[in-house]
Amino acid sequence: MAAGSQPLARRVHPPAGEARTRVAINEPLVYGIIGFVVVLILWEAVVGLGFVRAALLSSPTRIAAAAVADFRTGAILPHIGTSFLEWGVGFAIAIVLSIPLGLALGAFRRIEYVVDPWLSALYATPTVALAPLIILLFGIGVESKFVIVFLEAFVVLTVNTVAGTHSADRRHLDTARSFGASRWLTFRSVIIPSSVPFVITGVRIAAGRAIVGVIVAEFIAANVGIGFYISVNGATLNASRVMLGVLIIGIFGVIVGQLIRRLERRFDKWRPAIH
Amino acid sequence: MLSEGLALSARGVRMEYRDQSTHDRLVAIEKIDLDIAEGEFVSIVGPSGCGKSTFLKLVNGLLPATDGEIEVRPGAKGIPHATVFQDSSLFPWYTVIGNVSYGLVCQGVPRRDAYERAKPLIRLVGLDGFESKYPYQLSGGMQQRANLARALTVDPELLLMDEPFAALDAQTREIMQVELLRIWSKAQKTVLFITHQIDEAIFLSDRVVVMSARPGRILDDIRIDLPRPRALELKRTPEFTAYEEQVWKLIASQLGSIGVGEATEAATDAA
Repeated sequence: MAAGSQPLARRVHPPAGEARTRVAINEPLVYGIIGFVVVLILWEAVVGLGFVRAALLSSPTRIAAAAVADFRTGAILPHIGTSFLEWGVGFAIAIVLSIPLGLALGAFRRIEYVVDPWLSALYATPTVALAPLIILLFGIGVESKFVIVFLEAFVVLTVNTVAGTHSADRRHLDTARSFGASRWLTFRSVIIPSSVPFVITGVRIAAGRAIVGVIVAEFIAANVGIGFYISVNGATLNASRVMLGVLIIGIFGVIVGQLIRRLERRFDKWRPAIH
Repeated sequence: MLSEGLALSARGVRMEYRDQSTHDRLVAIEKIDLDIAEGEFVSIVGPSGCGKSTFLKLVNGLLPATDGEIEVRPGAKGIPHATVFQDSSLFPWYTVIGNVSYGLVCQGVPRRDAYERAKPLIRLVGLDGFESKYPYQLSGGMQQRANLARALTVDPELLLMDEPFAALDAQTREIMQVELLRIWSKAQKTVLFITHQIDEAIFLSDRVVVMSARPGRILDDIRIDLPRPRALELKRTPEFTAYEEQVWKLIASQLGSIGVGEATEAATDAA
């Protein structure tokens, strides 16, 4: 465009219709779906063309067939129900106990000094390693799973809550002090709110670890549950049902993670600013 | 005892601290003697790192002085002072009214009464209608209005302001300066204002106290004889620029003695 014949600031914008279609395309979603579909097609092709035996790798259509069969007969429902119960109860007890405990440890430093080595040790240990012992103590029913799930979630959630109580912004603490806030009011008005984002992050991590706890515990000893379903079908070389079990866990994990992440974002503004 | 008519009296205030990394004892404030009369507006300016913010922390009790004495008259309600901090000292989990009434809640006033008593102050600072907004929903200037209202709500004798407009853009800062003078004339408080902006200090104050580079001491205490009420046009008068000259020369002499821009930034106000 010659500068002499056109005003300098002139820009030719795309017509309105074109601009609208461009905005409407959600690129991460579209490309994500394309990638997903491509992987499914490749998987189906690799098995269909006989490169890998279907008995070992299954394939998307075979997994779908297994899903239709097991949901139609309802055979899989007790497994899902039991695992969900084990996860929910163990996780709920962990939330109820570890958040108050974490806050208390944050409030009373000396107790924290006593408990901290234990928490750090447990935090570094995969607590599922204790699962065989817990099953010996509590039996192969849901009770032992409650305990294993609880332990998995409890440690990470407590550690996160304690970290949250130490995260309060210096300026907010100074403000409370300069207005003469009591120790208890400072705790209520500054330290607890500051720790909320950390607690929610802890809840999200704990939720994932609790799922691992359920599955591993059911692998070790159980007669119902998704972990049991996977291990039995694995032992009988039913790859489609193993994959179906894994898929169900994956979907559940993503849904729970997304729900908590949404909650997490709401409290992002409460996080201390990074200087 | 405080003499009649004084809101603050500081005598021989000295502040040392131990450097966290080198463990050397550093002197932040050499010796400060300062009297502020009731109702007076006094600013402290000085090169960065001179200890002006440290002095304010000594007055409001966030830091203990190594030596010396600071007396502040308790206000009508028995509250000697309240602080308006720099930016983001509002609690993001409270609404405007929750934040403004916080000082009263700290004194054990029931929340409902505290809200009632906060309302007139919210009106005074011009945040009417924003009571239930959260700090992140406010502009920087509005946040500092809320911050100011929070300090005024406890009805202190002395208002301590620690570079409250430092984070604001130039235009908002000037608007807030005018607003602060309006609010100050209505609220009738004594103000100790810390700033590194020379024009801000002169525009607002009855007296401008100029501090030396660290270790901080008072270089000069300049009475600003400019008529009130003041408007922004005042900043373009020869009288005003003459004061600016005077203060700038004092500060420049300090920058020269330690090398302009060297080491001064690292040596921020103690703690």
